[in-house]
Amino acid sequence: MAELSAFNFRPGSSVLHGLDVRFKLIFLVLISFTSLKAYTVALSVLTLVLVAALMHSGLSLKSILKTFRYVSVLLAFIFIARALSTPGSVVAEFKAISITREGIYYGAMICWRLVIVILTGLSFVLTTRPSEIKAAVEWTLNPFPFIPAKRIATMMSLMVRFLPVIIDQAKETADAQRARGIENRKNPVYRLGKLGIPLMRRTFERADKLAVAMEARCYSENRTDPVLSSGIMDWIALCGVVCLCLVIISA
Amino acid sequence: MNIIEIENLSHYFADGTCGLENINLTIEEGTFVVIAGQNGSGKTTLLKHLNGLLLPTTGTVRLAGVPVSENLVKARQMVGMVFQDPDSQIVGETVCDDVAFGPENLCLDRSEVKRRVYRTLKVVGLLDFEDQKPHLLSGGEKRRLAIAGILAMEPKVLVFDEPFSSLDYPGVKQVLKQIISLHRSGHTILAAAHDLEKVIAHADRLVIMKDGKVVKDETPSQLLGELEAFGIREPCASRLGMEVQSWLN
Amino acid sequence: MIATKQLRMTVYASLLAALTAAGAYLAIPIGPVPIVLQSLFIFLSGLLLGSRWGVASVGVYLLAGALGLPVFAGGVGGIGRFAGPTGGYLLGFLPAVYVIGLITEKTRKRVVFDVFAMVCGSIIIYSCGVSWLKILTGMTLAKTMVVGMYPFILGDVLKIAAAVPIAKALRPVINP
Ligand SMILES: Nc1ncnc2c1ncn2[C@@H]1O[C@H](COP(=O)(O)OP(=O)(O)OP(=O)(O)O)[C@@H](O)[C@H]1O
Ligand SMILES: [Mg+2]
Repeated sequence: MAELSAFNFRPGSSVLHGLDVRFKLIFLVLISFTSLKAYTVALSVLTLVLVAALMHSGLSLKSILKTFRYVSVLLAFIFIARALSTPGSVVAEFKAISITREGIYYGAMICWRLVIVILTGLSFVLTTRPSEIKAAVEWTLNPFPFIPAKRIATMMSLMVRFLPVIIDQAKETADAQRARGIENRKNPVYRLGKLGIPLMRRTFERADKLAVAMEARCYSENRTDPVLSSGIMDWIALCGVVCLCLVIISA
Repeated sequence: MNIIEIENLSHYFADGTCGLENINLTIEEGTFVVIAGQNGSGKTTLLKHLNGLLLPTTGTVRLAGVPVSENLVKARQMVGMVFQDPDSQIVGETVCDDVAFGPENLCLDRSEVKRRVYRTLKVVGLLDFEDQKPHLLSGGEKRRLAIAGILAMEPKVLVFDEPFSSLDYPGVKQVLKQIISLHRSGHTILAAAHDLEKVIAHADRLVIMKDGKVVKDETPSQLLGELEAFGIREPCASRLGMEVQSWLN
Repeated sequence: MIATKQLRMTVYASLLAALTAAGAYLAIPIGPVPIVLQSLFIFLSGLLLGSRWGVASVGVYLLAGALGLPVFAGGVGGIGRFAGPTGGYLLGFLPAVYVIGLITEKTRKRVVFDVFAMVCGSIIIYSCGVSWLKILTGMTLAKTMVVGMYPFILGDVLKIAAAVPIAKALRPVINP
């Protein structure tokens, strides 16, 4: 499951690893929204801060760039679309298509902001254990009445737990059908059905067994709370991030 | 002391099929019982009554004198059940999370949960895999993780449904060793199997089921010769007139 | 029935969420644009689980993805995904599954209604997806639809056609 584990949590002992998840979630939101108001200077600062933070938490520059392999296609698409569709002073022209200076500028800004959001998300994901994320969800949702926070947390971990199992199962099913020559059947509806039905049937059978096994282990929604603890570092970091955001917004 | 007492137990499924018919069985604390029988003979159905996953249509099941239906949570804590397919019973994203699942359900303190997780991981020898994803474990390790998940609830009785299905030789040895050491530490063990070769040398008692009924219930050595009549393969050694050896030797 | 209904539905919804996530990795290579199975499973979540549990399933999937749990295909997860060009489609899944579930609950699970439900769902997904894409790229609506909708319509028609027999085969499994 290489494709799944590439952007997972990496154990480490950096400052980011040590911070409380709840604070990190706040930072995530604050920085993402601030970047919407940011321009060249502020964006450069944010990029530097984030790249430094990522490298400090154990990611090399090369692997940061590698992360963007897939996204860069989408970013390029947005950039080109912007460059072509924004009216303004024309830089280059080709038949009906014209590239404008404003288009290039806005395109670059939007892409850069997306990069910031992605970098922020990345530094969160890389330094936070899935169990902490779950705990934070539970903690955040707990005060709301009518929202079953514990159940949502349980559902999240079940999903993450069974995603690789189901992908393997799907590949196995697809391979078994290929071995019996399903590729000769050109009708896509037939093929979707032949893949979908066994896959879902097995998923539901698995779910039945899982539910029984959970009952055998006394599953209840009234269960031990997760532990979350914040320290002085969290508050210092919070001050830092809030100041940074205020400066950027007011600039 | 009799830890399990089953009296006149019958079970009919919702569609009317008869799963169990008039079962009477008492099991003393600390024994190692093997329940054998061909596919569909009702082994799983019987075992599911021990912790109230199924409730009797008629008859009673008592654990240490208390009917199972009286306190289901207590029954499930007392009788830990390891199912046939470990991949469908491991709940957590990591080994650690999974073992913690049971104790968390019992609303234990976080510190107590942690203590139990470490202790049970040590017992099954998975301490080094603490942060590993269950998906990446080997078959034998998965089965041991499933056992750890049950042990963390500190049950008295351990029920294994087909503990060796789809395991390779090292996997069988790992799990068998585990079961035997749990038996030594005082747990009552019930194991369902249709292939006796692997466990029978260690069992104190052999119960044979057929069509939802208990047809034989004696010590293994007394029954070895008659197995084939019930659709169970007689262990090789016994066929050759030798004593059945443990798989661990 | 062994497990309580609620626990069973919780587990169904969680595993369907995993299946939806897996759907992004699964494609049937037909024609120029391979058919990715993800939206097929969104449709089926609505058809099989109904509105309430369908929303729970998709909601948990999106929430986990937004928080950076590894459930999105193709690299970067986290809220970056929602800000990116495909974010609108992802968000559209939620109202879509609700509407699909609602329509099947209110009608008698007949083929016509299933198809109608899924068509409504697709329209919702596309309107969310295309409008976000339009905001992001600044293209005209017509152009946005050319890149963000037309290439996928054929695939969706096929998925709707496939979802009908799948739902028919699996409804008895869920409600025995
Ligand atoms: N939910 C159910 N509804 C109806 N019949 C059932 C149900 N579960 C099991 N049965 C039937 O009850 C009988 C006993 O099943 P059980 O699973 O206990 O057998 P088993 O001894 O565990 O077999 P195996 O070795 O295959 O695991 C079988 O004939 C089976 O078809
Ligand atoms: Mg069985």
